Amino acid sequence: MAETKGKRQEYTTDFIKADIGNVSFLGNVHIDNIMTALIAMGAEIWTDRRRIRVLESLLEKKGVTRDMVEQYVPTAEEEATWKKEREVLVDRMYGQFARQGSEFNISSDWKNK
Amino acid sequence: MSNHFNRRSVMGGAAGLAGAIASISGTSPSNAKLPTNDIEPRGKTGKLERLPTLDLEANEEFLTSLRVFINGELTQAAAKSAAATASAKGIKPGQDVPLAEAFEILKSDPIVAMRNHSWQHLQMLMWDNLKREFHGNYDAYMAEMEAADKAGPGKLELNPGIEPAYTKHEIHMQPGGYTGDPFAGHIYHYGTNNFYNGGNYQDELHMKMASAVPVPKDGKVLRILDQGCSCGQLTVALKQRFPDAEVWGIDIGAPMVRYAHMRAVDMGVGANFRHALAEDSKFPDGHFDIVTSYILHHEVTLEASQKIVAESHRVLRPGGVYYPIDFNTNGKKLLGGASPYAKVREWMTYRWNHERWLMDYQAFDQAAEMTKVGFDVINGPTSGMDSFNAAYAGSNFVGIKKA
Repeated sequence: MAETKGKRQEYTTDFIKADIGNVSFLGNVHIDNIMTALIAMGAEIWTDRRRIRVLESLLEKKGVTRDMVEQYVPTAEEEATWKKEREVLVDRMYGQFARQGSEFNISSDWKNK
Repeated sequence: MSNHFNRRSVMGGAAGLAGAIASISGTSPSNAKLPTNDIEPRGKTGKLERLPTLDLEANEEFLTSLRVFINGELTQAAAKSAAATASAKGIKPGQDVPLAEAFEILKSDPIVAMRNHSWQHLQMLMWDNLKREFHGNYDAYMAEMEAADKAGPGKLELNPGIEPAYTKHEIHMQPGGYTGDPFAGHIYHYGTNNFYNGGNYQDELHMKMASAVPVPKDGKVLRILDQGCSCGQLTVALKQRFPDAEVWGIDIGAPMVRYAHMRAVDMGVGANFRHALAEDSKFPDGHFDIVTSYILHHEVTLEASQKIVAESHRVLRPGGVYYPIDFNTNGKKLLGGASPYAKVREWMTYRWNHERWLMDYQAFDQAAEMTKVGFDVINGPTSGMDSFNAAYAGSNFVGIKKA
């Protein structure tokens, strides 16, 4: 019968759930997960870029042109702050590249520790 | 999760924002004449209510562009790579191989794997984005539908409890499927905008199909039935083409017809919607002049498909026209070819895109079934599906009910 949530009539039924969450297309579910995260990150980048484009258009109507944005020279204080932020971003994104790691896998025991 | 509005306190501000955006993008701002509960904080672009946040809209448009890439360049690269992999393993072009062997041949092909992963996971992200939005603002969107349920100009009929098990799958991995999520219509509509590669925001494809629907020889069109109408795009387009006709859209997903009705109300189109099975529509014998459906048959069991053809014949009057639109309807032709890659892709669609009844559909001979129940069958006009994918051209039959 139709299900309800609280006082609301949803007119829904039970359903037969897809099992897509159990499959790996790339041979290792963690690689699948990383690839999915990369796709999601691309969408986030575009989402931010599109908002910036809207802001640029609105600012241009207020007299702040794209050329003024291109030509803007940061103050020394801004340069220093942005440099720090940039370095944090690089570390957060690529810090893993420096990891030595080991050959242990999930089924490794403790005898070599 | 979006927390862009507490509608009742924010709509004034949102309308102002929508107006500001409209002034730079050519869209219309929120419409003050609409019912009190209508949610469109960012107004409309033509027929399409804009997604309620810029972030969600941008996210979805990125995924649409990504789908174009995956369906185009990446799929071509995968096919090329698969052909080379198969050739290296001694398979000749055009050679038929069993599915198990096709998997074995291609299991180490990295581009095929990447294409398959990207296609499926892009779709999962797309559904997830939409589900978060609508469920994240549950009360507001439910209140909007409740207000529209009783509004006109068209009617809405809901019949809880009629759904057979075969209709309850999460086809296309859509969360909750068509029957199990209260926002199935919302999610389906915006999700399928992605499926159409961004080419159907204004219902262009559905309008083209509606314009292709053949009219009975005597020209009389008083009543039209659109089976499996989902979110009602073809139903609305049919009502717009035949404004004097009584037009009904039916679907087994109650949330789908609720959304379809709400959208028609919002558009001021007097199409009617009924929560009903295509194979058991509850309309009287000989009631309709035209019966249509769009991509319905490949999402139902073989048994249901056969019953739907018989039901279509029953509800049509003598001389009435049956025009079911779907992928190639002669069986065994969906993706074409016997190559390992074609076989694996077809399996992917069936198994992992959860096109649960695709293999049933492949065994369904539409023209033969139509003839069996008493239709005169002719090759129909192109429906618009051919513009979506050339592989589907010429796949539609028209049934004329004998006098």
